[in-house]
Amino acid sequence: MSKETQKMYPRFRMWARIEHIILLVSFTVLALTGLPQRYFESSFAVDMINAMGGITTVRLVHRYAAIVLVLGSVYHLFLGAYRWYVKGERMRIMLRPKDAVDIYETVKHNLGLQEEPPKMPKFNFGEKIEYWAVIWGTAVMIMTGFMLWNPIAITQLFPGQFIPAAKTAHSAEALLAVLSIVIWHFYNVLVKHRNWSIFTGNLPENQMKEEHMLEYERIEAGGDPYPGLSLKAQKSRKRAYFIVATAVGILSLMAIYWLFTFEETAITTLPAVTREVFVPLATSVP
Amino acid sequence: MNREKQVRFGFGVIATLSLLAVVLGLFVLSPARLVAEETVHPELAEVAVSQPAALPNSANLPENVDFMLRMAYQAQVQEPTGHPQTGDMACKMCHSDTDAEVEFESGETMPVQVDLAALAMSVHGESAENPLACYDCHITINDYQYPHEEVTAVNLQDYQVQTAATCERCHNRPHITNHPGQDAAIPVTCTSCHGSHEVQSKETWDSDEAVKACTDCHQQAGVELTDTEQMRTLIRNGLFADETDSDYCLACHSQPGLTMTFPNGDVKSVTVDPEAFHASAHGANNSWDELQCTDCHTDYQYPHEEITIESAREFTIVMNQACEECHVQYFEKSLDSVHGAALLDGNLDAAVCTDCHGAHDTPVLGDEPRAAISHTCEQCHSTIYNEYAESVHGEALIGDDNQDVPNCIDCHGVHDIHDPTTAAARARSPELCAECHANEELMTEYDISTDVFDTYVADFHGTTVALFDYEHEGVPPNTAVCYDCHGVHSIKAPDDPHANLQENLVENCQQCHPDASANFADSWLGHYRPSLENFPIIYLVNLFYLIVIPFTLVFFIFMIATDIYRRIRERGHKKEAANE
Repeated sequence: MSKETQKMYPRFRMWARIEHIILLVSFTVLALTGLPQRYFESSFAVDMINAMGGITTVRLVHRYAAIVLVLGSVYHLFLGAYRWYVKGERMRIMLRPKDAVDIYETVKHNLGLQEEPPKMPKFNFGEKIEYWAVIWGTAVMIMTGFMLWNPIAITQLFPGQFIPAAKTAHSAEALLAVLSIVIWHFYNVLVKHRNWSIFTGNLPENQMKEEHMLEYERIEAGGDPYPGLSLKAQKSRKRAYFIVATAVGILSLMAIYWLFTFEETAITTLPAVTREVFVPLATSVP
Repeated sequence: MNREKQVRFGFGVIATLSLLAVVLGLFVLSPARLVAEETVHPELAEVAVSQPAALPNSANLPENVDFMLRMAYQAQVQEPTGHPQTGDMACKMCHSDTDAEVEFESGETMPVQVDLAALAMSVHGESAENPLACYDCHITINDYQYPHEEVTAVNLQDYQVQTAATCERCHNRPHITNHPGQDAAIPVTCTSCHGSHEVQSKETWDSDEAVKACTDCHQQAGVELTDTEQMRTLIRNGLFADETDSDYCLACHSQPGLTMTFPNGDVKSVTVDPEAFHASAHGANNSWDELQCTDCHTDYQYPHEEITIESAREFTIVMNQACEECHVQYFEKSLDSVHGAALLDGNLDAAVCTDCHGAHDTPVLGDEPRAAISHTCEQCHSTIYNEYAESVHGEALIGDDNQDVPNCIDCHGVHDIHDPTTAAARARSPELCAECHANEELMTEYDISTDVFDTYVADFHGTTVALFDYEHEGVPPNTAVCYDCHGVHSIKAPDDPHANLQENLVENCQQCHPDASANFADSWLGHYRPSLENFPIIYLVNLFYLIVIPFTLVFFIFMIATDIYRRIRERGHKKEAANE
């Protein structure tokens, strides 16, 4: 079965694909500039940091990438809110009891204890785990990253040990995130088969059948790939959304700018200290 | 044969016999002279060769002299065997038996008679290895010819001084020049002690009886060099010596109170303590041979040339280059050091080798207590030394002669002392402290935790410093290093009541974090590892991830493994299906 003969099914809309690019770029930059800081004791990490322009530059780049990630996260919330409030779409990414059953049946099927694989919806259990891991991870990283970025402000409110605790969490969570991406995400979209739908927007029939049988059957039965309620008040909801979104958007941009610039944690240049070093003894010891 | 013929024959026989007798006599008395003069005293050869040709015109000669001179001259030029001859036979003929005297302007008189026997027995005489001719010495006053020119010296002493100048033509650095020289009010010249024609060998002088002449005179003149043994060494080394040994120099330079004045008015002691030198690293303990003064003070002669170096300090710096001769490696290191750089910048106060090691009393390495090293640095860096002396390290070193605590050079280096204000110095400083403080074996003895370095590096500041590429950044890391909190030279033990580490912590933080609060200071864990007792939040966060990360990974890998297992099975089924 060659690709050309496969029928393609819509899976991701443009907004989601843009979002993935933002996440991909910021995550990669954050990992490349962050992980060597975790493994500072290895010479490879030191070489990497020096290749990227030194620790000062690397930390600066890490912070800029963090801002991109935060903006991407805000974008995600706005997009989700729009789809849910204006278009009346269901949040199909939410975990359901069936996901646990799907895990159980998938394992049984994999081990040959069950003839047929479970029929899974648009987002199967693996994708849901990954999504919620990203949500959790990003939340942890943004929170702890913010604490590390503004330790003086944080310690106005919290005990001092929150800062090293945040560092521990930030560092460990980063490792978890990168390992999850490399092991779970890469296996599922690159290794077991190539799944380019997050770039192209469409998934071929065989992959639809294998991983999203329920969604496949629903679309084949004439269902809308992105089903929403045609709400009567959609127009007014749209207007209200944009007014609120614009206001919240501007406010959150201001908040992001303020939060990331209001504290001068440390002076950047050490003050020069001079002292007289040549102070000979009045009488020299023979 | 008539009477006249008989007389003539008889006269002829007598003349011939006389001539033979003279030739024979001279032959016996003066063997192989000319050759020796040419080889040993090349500077005199020209004189020796030209002198016979300058024999005076016979017309002016006194009657009785004329005959003898002519015969002597003929004997010399007709010498058939080629035996070397000095041309001074003529001199000796007159000066051996005469009552003539030179009368000086001063009224003093000097007999011109020479005791030929004494001359022959002298160190310059015919029995010597390298005999001299009269004109070898009597050259400088005037060109000796017959008849002699008027003596120019106004008195006997003046004459002796002039004549003695000729000794220095062969005896390059005779010890005589230690004595008041020709220009002195009361000069002591070679001939004052050695005599003129009866000069004796140094072997003859090398006896206590001979030297007594010297000591007597010294005692009379109030010269302190009266030790017979020292004097004898001097005599042994003072003649023809290419390189004088140290005792030669020390004969003068061991006298206390000797000074040298520089053009700028600096007065420097030039007295050397011979015992201190002998005990020094360059003395009896030197690895191959005891150094001699001239090994370092090369090209020194006596009398010394006038010092043109402006000041005593400049002299020290110039002399210091002598160290490079043997200690190239350390010398070059010192040039690269902060001291070398300062010197290059024109700072004459910058330490050179001898400032730390001493010049003539260089101690043998390891002989001195370790504290001596810090005391050496104290000479110039007294305020820093005072801080160090009160520190936990300094007290142990100076008070208890502790062998483990660092002294100045343990941190700063020895010869290649680097600038401690550079980015590199700051960035590397924690590793420097860690050399001891992360050394389990060393720290156990003092019950000091070796966690201090690891816990520092685990902290943001330490991580930053560990990652800080000072060469790349070009600036020193602005995160705190050990000494920002503990002090540089004044490091106290943490439990020392004067350490005030905890009390000063916020203040310390505020040096770099102007808005730091007490809470903020608590984010530094004080070199503790997080545990349930100390910093439980950090401990629990860490524990959480220690559990979550492996569990997550195990779940992922389990799912992937079962998936791969199914795919392999399915591939096998497809192949079977295709084969059937």
